Amino acid sequence: MTRKIRKVAVLGAGVMGAQIACHFANIGIEVLLLDMPAKELNEKEQKAGLSSDHPIVRNRIVNDLFLKATKLKPAPLYLKAYASRITTGNFEDDLHKIAECDWIIEVIIENLKIKQELYTKIEEHRKPDSLITTNTSGIPIQMLIQGRSEDFVAHFCGTHFFNPPRYLKLLEIIPSPKTNQEVLDFLTDFGERFLGKSVVSCKDTPAFIANRVGVYSMMSVFHLIDEFGFSVEEIDKLTGPIIGRPKSATFRTCDVVGLDTLVFVAQNLQKALQDDEAKDVFQIPEFIQHMMGNQWLGSKTGQGFYKKIKTEGKSEILSLNLDSFEYQEKQRVKFGEFEAAKAVPHLNDRFKVLLKGNSKVNQFYQKLFFGLFAYVSNRMPEITDDLYKIDEAICSGFAWEMGPFEIWESLGVKKTLGMMEAMGYKAANWVYNMVQEDLSFYQLKDGLKQYYDVNSNAHQTIPGTENLVLLNNIRSSKTIWSNEGASIIDLGDGIINLEFHTKMNTIGSEIIQGINKAIELAESDYQALVISNEGENFSAGANIGLVFMLAIEQEFEELDMVVRTFQNTMLKLKYASVPVIAAPHGMTLGGGCELCMHTDKVIAHAETYMGLVELGVGVIPAGGGTKEFAYRLSKEIAQDDIRTNRFRDKFLSIGQAKVSMSAYEAFDLGYLRKDVDEVIISKKHQLSYAKKAALLMLEKGYTPPLPTKDITVLGSEGLALVYSGADGMEVGNFISEYDKHLSVELGKVLSGGELSEPAQVSEKYLLDLERIAFVRLCQQKKTMERMQSLLQKGKILRN
Amino acid sequence: MNAYIVAAYRTAIGKAKKGKLRLIRPDDMAARVVKHIMEKTPSLDPLLVDDVIVGNATPEAEQGLNIGRMISLMGLDNIQVPGMTVNRYCSSGLETIAIAASKIEAGLADCILAGGVEMMSLMPMGGWRLVPNLGIAKSNPDYYWNMGITAEALQKKYKISREDQDEFAFHSHRKALEALAANRFVDEIVPITVSETFVNSQEKAETKEHIVATDEGPRADTSIEGLSKLRPVFDQRGTVTAGNSSQTSDGAAFVLVVSEKMLKQLNVQPIARFVSYAVAGVEPKHMGIGPVEAIPKVLKRSGINMNQIEQIELNEAFAVQALSVMRELDMNPDITNVNGGAIALGHPLGCTGTKLSVQLLHEMKKRNQKYGMVTMCVGSGQGAAGIFELMNNG
Repeated sequence: MTRKIRKVAVLGAGVMGAQIACHFANIGIEVLLLDMPAKELNEKEQKAGLSSDHPIVRNRIVNDLFLKATKLKPAPLYLKAYASRITTGNFEDDLHKIAECDWIIEVIIENLKIKQELYTKIEEHRKPDSLITTNTSGIPIQMLIQGRSEDFVAHFCGTHFFNPPRYLKLLEIIPSPKTNQEVLDFLTDFGERFLGKSVVSCKDTPAFIANRVGVYSMMSVFHLIDEFGFSVEEIDKLTGPIIGRPKSATFRTCDVVGLDTLVFVAQNLQKALQDDEAKDVFQIPEFIQHMMGNQWLGSKTGQGFYKKIKTEGKSEILSLNLDSFEYQEKQRVKFGEFEAAKAVPHLNDRFKVLLKGNSKVNQFYQKLFFGLFAYVSNRMPEITDDLYKIDEAICSGFAWEMGPFEIWESLGVKKTLGMMEAMGYKAANWVYNMVQEDLSFYQLKDGLKQYYDVNSNAHQTIPGTENLVLLNNIRSSKTIWSNEGASIIDLGDGIINLEFHTKMNTIGSEIIQGINKAIELAESDYQALVISNEGENFSAGANIGLVFMLAIEQEFEELDMVVRTFQNTMLKLKYASVPVIAAPHGMTLGGGCELCMHTDKVIAHAETYMGLVELGVGVIPAGGGTKEFAYRLSKEIAQDDIRTNRFRDKFLSIGQAKVSMSAYEAFDLGYLRKDVDEVIISKKHQLSYAKKAALLMLEKGYTPPLPTKDITVLGSEGLALVYSGADGMEVGNFISEYDKHLSVELGKVLSGGELSEPAQVSEKYLLDLERIAFVRLCQQKKTMERMQSLLQKGKILRN
Repeated sequence: MNAYIVAAYRTAIGKAKKGKLRLIRPDDMAARVVKHIMEKTPSLDPLLVDDVIVGNATPEAEQGLNIGRMISLMGLDNIQVPGMTVNRYCSSGLETIAIAASKIEAGLADCILAGGVEMMSLMPMGGWRLVPNLGIAKSNPDYYWNMGITAEALQKKYKISREDQDEFAFHSHRKALEALAANRFVDEIVPITVSETFVNSQEKAETKEHIVATDEGPRADTSIEGLSKLRPVFDQRGTVTAGNSSQTSDGAAFVLVVSEKMLKQLNVQPIARFVSYAVAGVEPKHMGIGPVEAIPKVLKRSGINMNQIEQIELNEAFAVQALSVMRELDMNPDITNVNGGAIALGHPLGCTGTKLSVQLLHEMKKRNQKYGMVTMCVGSGQGAAGIFELMNNG
């Protein structure tokens, strides 16, 4: 019988447990969330006259923890309403309910004895064949199975989620020698497809893979500080986005995680690792001990490497001077070396530039990376047999763009080995063997990524990727057309993909050209078009810089042409004779959102943040976005409906520049279409699924939509609502005077203008209104100020 | 010719959307009050009733189709007595009494049931479909401001502090709680039996009955500290909160207005004489100040001066609004809203005018006072005020 997960129990509602529960709720699974019962009444309960055995009292702890979790930012739930998929209870009154659960996840305190006691009780209630997994990060899995029944042990392993579990993609699976292979295969597949995780199977070694390497890397940065004397800000600049790591880099990450947590893991590792050649790295340096002594643990104690203070209502961030241990004004950091590095668009090519030379920065990077390379190579086979797992774990668990082996490869494996030797870093022997065979860590073959397998001394395809279509793997071999901003890649089976690759994937003339080319190719030589990319975001919207330049130069006719071209391109997408599918993820704003709205179907990744945010830069959506909203509004209105309310809802999505906090919310905001567009949780599977969706449309027999001339707009009735509503918002200080002006401009398009009665209009009519309003707004000083603010400071100005 | 009030009753006022009155229809609820008046006036044959005039501020959906006529049909159980609906927003229920009195004074009628009903549980504020006039929306958008924004505008003009507003709100609750504790409203309330059919925890439909006989609005846990923590609702930088505004409510109230001739015919004692009534227009954006214009007008018309008024029901649309009116007219707080106001007891728009009149008349009787006044501000810039004279029947 195939295993199915209908209901999950999460035992322990701490910050991880509650959020794990939320993520299961996200994917549509019923969750039972349990924690300790409260024993005594609090003041409020006493007042209400409750007895100590009342469920409100007994479940107070779990309910409080759960409520707190749902308020976390970023939000653990795709939609607030999904909280109703979680039922709470306590270990004493409700543990028997785990008998209904197909998977029991233990997320309680890291204490062997307490965990074992709980497992004994779980054995009493669980149904045979149900899965039991632990989120432990500190206790060996082998120790946890001692004394357990055969069925328990066969269905038990570690499932280590990373905080925040909705957003961090890593799921480490740690089997014991007795875990059923079927269980591991199931969890791997479920973790990937249902939970959207990168699943990495680990050996049962201290801190598993990601934390072992991640904490090593952090600790090694700490030790390098003594040697190089960099400041806190300098280190964060050096170890941030420039090398493909998150903005929070080293110290801000520490502040968020909590220094005590990091020290705890490092100390445990130091104790547990007797044979680790680099175990001294896990020794806590003096300045960290000093900070621990002062309780400067980060956000949780109000100060760590940084401290946020408020002076005269303005908040300011100070940084810790590691010599004087005083907080001082944050310094702006500038490294000459970064100028050259920033000119290199692809991260893959950047490391060569950063490590080459003898400057302090170059030397810091050499020591940082060579140490890391040596360390990870020597962890094999200790923590894993497969090098790709180290890269995957660190990338998904610590949000690095490239893992250690990938970085090493970008520098040239052999050449780097030589430099490492010269500086006293000793890589593992298998790397020398590999180099001797003239092999490298990775290679692409037939559109699949292969890794060097130490045991067979040959390349193997990364398991589980055999059937996936990933642009990174086929770009080099399957690109059929490209320009500066976009590429068209053949996905096989008659389907082509249009990929963007501009900064933030903003849409400018190159991408417009790319879209037109893609439609032309799809219509002439192929059968369907998918629009997707593997950048950080699908698209931040149209290129505002271009609009701003034309407006400054008062080239309004030219500007009108640019908008017209954009509009025409969107219409081409909509009416192409082949299926067009968009597969957005991440930020999908403005023009990026409009593009999706003009496709036959959107296959959105669950983490898609969609919105028509044009009002923020002083214009209205004029790439067909407002028109498409009018069109969707028209389709929603049934006879005798209270149409003004529907008009209001649609208006407010654009009028308040609402951005969805998940793809599911995009349906509520009107950016995605119910019963047409779909959400997929797994990013890895998104493109393969989009391609399949295109194939299915073809199989069924595809005909494009027909042009419509019967879009019902409300005319004066709708517009009057905007005038009076926007006035109230302005008077109530919810929007600025200029926001009101923009609202009216938007209202004039969405309502079709000052028509005497509701009327049926064509797309062309609405597109003309959009475009004219857009160009008119670009002649306003305040619109220019808004654009300037975004372009220069990256900030939305509400003037 | 004079017009007299011979009976005055109301329902308890329910909390909109949360209270039990949400479970009854407005026409049913109003018909019960009408029936109660008929029971309490046994000498009155329904066929003697010339008209049923009902105030309602949102006469659509359940309150539509001329609900006044529905109430005459349902409340009097015959087809001969007509019915009509009157809308002057928050003064509708006082307006109906004034219309009844005027008809009687003009000799057009001898016996009229005048009242008001509002079920705010059912209706969005402003009705289901708000469609402003485009020209006005452009030239005078303040005509369409929601009442909360007009309250903030009043705050800017009359500079009533947030602290004063919250304190006023607190006292409204305190007075209402004291009145409830002393059973001061019991004589005037028609208990309403409400039947609730719902799906129970066993997933079966189940029917329960509730008797609503007590005002649901006053909150025992209201404190100045709690009120001061609430956020402004209508203006991000404003002072008007849910706590210092009137509550949305459900309720119905009716009075029986008759001529002298009818008094004799029915052989009943009048409670009061309806003295006079006035409405006045003010700036729509300052609608809350309406009573400041209406009160002098009604006093002048009736030849009574303010010092003769012994008790006032001033509808508390907003604390800032009530305070502005009281300060402008130098009204005596000790005789105003002696049992609390709409901030505590609720404001069922079209019913309020009659409800406040019912409360005033019963309280005047208890205190043996001569002249009393009901006054309120009205949406889109109006004020209304009516004066009653208690008939000393002793």
